[in-house]
Amino acid sequence: MAVPIYAAAMYLSYRSAAQQLELGAERDADELASRLAAELDAVIRPIEGGIRTVAAQLEEIDPPREQYEARIRGILAAWPDVYGSTIAVETGSAHAGSGPFAPYLFRRSGGVAFSDLALDSYSYQTLPWYRRAADRREPVWSSPYFDAGGGEIWMVTYSVPFYRRPADAPRTLAGVVTADLDLNWVRAAAQNAALGPIGMGWLLSPPGQESFVAPIGATAERIAAFDASITEQTFRDTGERMLASGATFELVRGSTAEPVYLAVRGLETLEWRLMLAIPRAELLADARALLERQLLLGAVGLVLLIAAISFVAAGISRPIHALAESVDGAREGAFDFRLPETRRRDEVGVLTEALRRMRDSLQRHIELRAEDLAARARLEHELAIAASIQQSMLPHGAADAHPAGARVAAALLPAKQVGGDLYDYFERDSGLLFAIGDVSDKGIPAALFMASVSGLFKVLGSAGELPERLLARVNERLAASNDACMFATMGCGFLDVATGLVRYASAGHDQPLLLELGGSIEPLEAENGPALAVEAPAVYPLTERLLAPGDTLVLFTDGITEAAAADGSLFGLDRLSALLRDGAGPGSPDVLVRRIVAAVTTHTADFHATDDLTVLAVAFAPRGVTPSRSANGEQWLIEPELSAEGCREARHWLRQILAARRVADGRIADVELIAEELLTNIVRAAGEAGGASSMSLTLALTPAEIVLTVRDDGLEFDPLARAAPNLDVEIAERDVGGLGIHLVRELADECRYARSDDCNVLTICLNRSVARREYAT
Amino acid sequence: MTLKITVDQSSTPTLKLVGRLDTDTAPQLDGELTKVLAHKGIKRLVFDLGGLDYLSSAGIRCFVRARKGIEPNGGTVAIVNPQPGVRKVLDIVKAIPAKGIFASVAELDEYLDAIQQQVRDEGKELDK
Repeated sequence: MAVPIYAAAMYLSYRSAAQQLELGAERDADELASRLAAELDAVIRPIEGGIRTVAAQLEEIDPPREQYEARIRGILAAWPDVYGSTIAVETGSAHAGSGPFAPYLFRRSGGVAFSDLALDSYSYQTLPWYRRAADRREPVWSSPYFDAGGGEIWMVTYSVPFYRRPADAPRTLAGVVTADLDLNWVRAAAQNAALGPIGMGWLLSPPGQESFVAPIGATAERIAAFDASITEQTFRDTGERMLASGATFELVRGSTAEPVYLAVRGLETLEWRLMLAIPRAELLADARALLERQLLLGAVGLVLLIAAISFVAAGISRPIHALAESVDGAREGAFDFRLPETRRRDEVGVLTEALRRMRDSLQRHIELRAEDLAARARLEHELAIAASIQQSMLPHGAADAHPAGARVAAALLPAKQVGGDLYDYFERDSGLLFAIGDVSDKGIPAALFMASVSGLFKVLGSAGELPERLLARVNERLAASNDACMFATMGCGFLDVATGLVRYASAGHDQPLLLELGGSIEPLEAENGPALAVEAPAVYPLTERLLAPGDTLVLFTDGITEAAAADGSLFGLDRLSALLRDGAGPGSPDVLVRRIVAAVTTHTADFHATDDLTVLAVAFAPRGVTPSRSANGEQWLIEPELSAEGCREARHWLRQILAARRVADGRIADVELIAEELLTNIVRAAGEAGGASSMSLTLALTPAEIVLTVRDDGLEFDPLARAAPNLDVEIAERDVGGLGIHLVRELADECRYARSDDCNVLTICLNRSVARREYAT
Repeated sequence: MTLKITVDQSSTPTLKLVGRLDTDTAPQLDGELTKVLAHKGIKRLVFDLGGLDYLSSAGIRCFVRARKGIEPNGGTVAIVNPQPGVRKVLDIVKAIPAKGIFASVAELDEYLDAIQQQVRDEGKELDK
């Protein structure tokens, strides 16, 4: 990365330096031209001044002619560059003193020679050097000319007119003072100018005059070194154009070779031009050399830089590599990796120190986490124990542990390890006391409160309290010391297994569902008292309901009905009812409970259970009565022992069952009477020959009918075949026998006898609600 | 389910039955009847069934037995105040003639007073 940046910087620097150098070279060339022009002007300007001074003196003093020569000698003495000088007087004017007079002094052979231009029949007043000054009435320079008759040299002449102002007369021309300038001097001066190996130039007279060219270093070879398309004339034309436009410097391009700089100056004194032509390559040669040297140095620097960077980088990367290897061990969880010792104070040292701090803090973190995990494991363990203790508070109802006359099943699924739901049941006073409860809140507080409720229920329940009183007493105890403001709902019932009567009281709990043998479902309409531990004293209304054998009371907590599926739908009472209706056969609460738990957990699927689920099912199952479902109703098989006691028991169950099904009292009495008459006959005949050894009774209920079927295994005997007694004969003559069968026939809507499986089977049908006839008084 | 029997031995001997009269309790009533019928010359026996909930043929036999014990001597057995269910059974079996069954004690008293008038000459007529 550093290398290209460095190279780019170098290139930009080179470009900038080259531009600067080029600008410098251009300036140098321009300045050279200016300097040369100024040097020439510096020689010429004093001469101009001197001649004008002489002219002014002549005007002012008007010395006699004899003194002219002395003045001319003074000029030659003062300016060695002046070759010759004259003071030529005007003869054409009115005030002219005498005839032509033009003494000319000039250098020859190291001395000064004299020549009178007038004497030499030299009609000087017509010559250009005189005429132009006289006519223009100002100092003028002549064009270059070759002095063929005089010094045999190229020269230019500076002519200054002077005037007289005689009294009462206008100012008139008196003569012209001249100085001849040897142009060999110009050539020498030009040749002294240095223009490098191939630079060259010219000092030129302006175009249109006698052409004089003083080459400055220009030779035929040098011109040839330029582009062939660029000639001397090209330069001169370009130079003239430049002067016309006021430019002093220009790059002249030929068709092929290097372009050429052309610097042009006009002299301030003489109307001459100085032109310098320098090839661009030559002008920039030094600059190029300098730049190339810089480039070389830069390249060397770059190489050195790369080497230095590599060296420094290696110094950093090696320890970093070592660090990386050390830290790599941490990937397998070994956070106690060793770090290399270092005293470095650079970034590597800082990094190592940072890693050391990280490692140490990681180790501390791991230790803390291990402690945390241990603490959590302890807590989990304690919770597990708590859960097991809590589970042990619940009755573990194995089938054989069920009390006589009832079957119970229950399930409790805590949402957390320990829960706030509870259920309990135990046998007491020929009955079953049972309860279900739901403590507010969840987790450990709820579990502790649940334990307290559960304990009170056991103690007070065992003491013989019935549900309504039991709840009131449990409530009193809980409310008295309820600083935590917990509360619990509870449903509590007592099933009298001798009668099927349930006494139920509720402390704010959901109404249980009563599932009848035939599958119909209705809530146990129990009036609620306040939840436990809320207020004391509280009254818990008693609800009584008679169960028929095979009926099941299902108690549950709201964890069942409010179990939510992932889509938010609750399990609900309707689902629960439907499940019970289609559910297990009669008297199997354990199957019922399993089905409910399975349905609820299926409903919630993977969705986290938010509340404890508890369900308790109590089925009434007295000994000697076998409930079953029939095609269109319910039926109970009663198998009493063959005795008066057995008859009593059978009649008792008939009465209870019919009462539980809310059959009218009159009908119940009819059915009981029929049963009594028939069973009594069987029992009475049992002691005789051909008597039965067992009997049974089946009560079947359909929506319309009550059907009683009595069986005995005695000898074939159809009681219906016996003629009806003659009730109108005198009482004293009547046989009391046959009254029972008569009663049966009269009360029943239909009687049938059949001999089946070696048994006498008597079937009696009664209309369920209406007696066949009423016997008015 | 039991039977409670109260025996009133005042001017008109009355057995007040409360509860159920069936196979199980009939022997109990039989025992009382035995004692009551032991008094020779008893002319009237009244069963007050106001408290009787249930009556089966075993009970009816007790009534028949009472009639057999009293009526041959010109006596009378009456039933008072039967509940509808019991009345229904009595009606079916016709163990007691309809004119011997009274809805209330007042009705019975009125009837007995009428009997007093005829008892001398029409003693046998009561059965018809």
